Amino acid sequence: MKFKDYYAILGVDRNASEDDIKKAYRKLARKFHPDVSKEPNAEEKFKEVAEANETLKDPEKRKAYDELGRHATGEEFRPPPDWQHAFGGGQFSFDDLDLADLFAGLRPGGRGRGTGGAMAGRNYEAQVQITFDQAFHGTEITLDLSAIEFDDAGHARRVPRKVTVRIPKGVADGQVLRVPGKGGKGASGGPAGDLFLDIRVQAHPLFQADGQDLYIELPLAPWEAVLGASVELPTPAGQVSLTVPAGTRAGQKLRLAGRGLARQGAAAGHLYAVVQIVVPRVVDERERALYRQLAEQSTFNPRAHFEREARR
Amino acid sequence: MTTESVHALFVDDSGVVSLTQLTELSGLSEAELRELVDCGALAPADAAAPRWEFSTHCIVVARTARRLREDFALEDVHSLAIALRLLQRIAELEQQLAALRART
Repeated sequence: MKFKDYYAILGVDRNASEDDIKKAYRKLARKFHPDVSKEPNAEEKFKEVAEANETLKDPEKRKAYDELGRHATGEEFRPPPDWQHAFGGGQFSFDDLDLADLFAGLRPGGRGRGTGGAMAGRNYEAQVQITFDQAFHGTEITLDLSAIEFDDAGHARRVPRKVTVRIPKGVADGQVLRVPGKGGKGASGGPAGDLFLDIRVQAHPLFQADGQDLYIELPLAPWEAVLGASVELPTPAGQVSLTVPAGTRAGQKLRLAGRGLARQGAAAGHLYAVVQIVVPRVVDERERALYRQLAEQSTFNPRAHFEREARR
Repeated sequence: MTTESVHALFVDDSGVVSLTQLTELSGLSEAELRELVDCGALAPADAAAPRWEFSTHCIVVARTARRLREDFALEDVHSLAIALRLLQRIAELEQQLAALRART
């Protein structure tokens, strides 16, 4: 097991008071918490600081930690022999654990888990990255939920566990999903905790989501906007042929009803094609002549409202 | 090792949970949840009902509150309610920003 110097992580003395530890932790939490921090590696740093605080803020855990003695950070060490007894009665190897696991098993009042009444299992949380297509169609992900569990006698063991979770279709970025009963095991007949999934949907190069609605930019040539056109438009469910009406303006939204994100048992969102009018960067001589001819013939004044304002 | 297969459920306004269930799901005590209701950070479907029921979306709010309390070692529920409100405000603004970006 690799040693971590929790005092150094919090930047406090080994004889710091509980209050000093709390102050140091709060300061570092404000600095590195991923919700407020702009520091690089904030999340990693915060986890380290939180792990140190978790052990040092609890007098029992801190005492147990102090008993491990002083080691250099990263140094391999073995906990004293009586810990082996407390954690697994000899049938268990510390090689499976890291320092945080060791202290997670301690509860105020002594080593190992108590054998009190029924206790519900812990709720687990996991952040899950999925692609836009997986969110649209629904998907299955496999999570490794191997965990340190304590039996009723307080013995620890690493329990291998894999769970395949069906993610329903229509999930949006930032949404939380719940998998009942797939958190930590309950103790002494207590119910298992739940698993919460914080869903992150990767950005798609063409589609942008706003809740259940989707948006796609639809570039049109000036003549397509003026004359109307039939264009091929990608949608998450496949290509469709879209009729652009004559006289379509830039910024107009063409709605494709029900082609947004759809959830089981709920009305589907819509897909909006947002019109952009784009012009060719390079035109040849013949095209230029045609544009000139159009300019001479057209009575259209795109800035008529400027003149109306000026006359007021 | 066998792999279990399970379905994930949406945690949104489509269902309800009792105060007891909310305690179990959030890790906050009943007293803390009642204080958050008093501060207006959480709202039961009907505050006058003899047994409070919350929309399942409140699970997300209450869990965020618990995480904030632990992560920042916040001790009084009033500061917690303010931090929660500010985070919600940021989330709303981020959502509006994403919506504006999507539309233009």
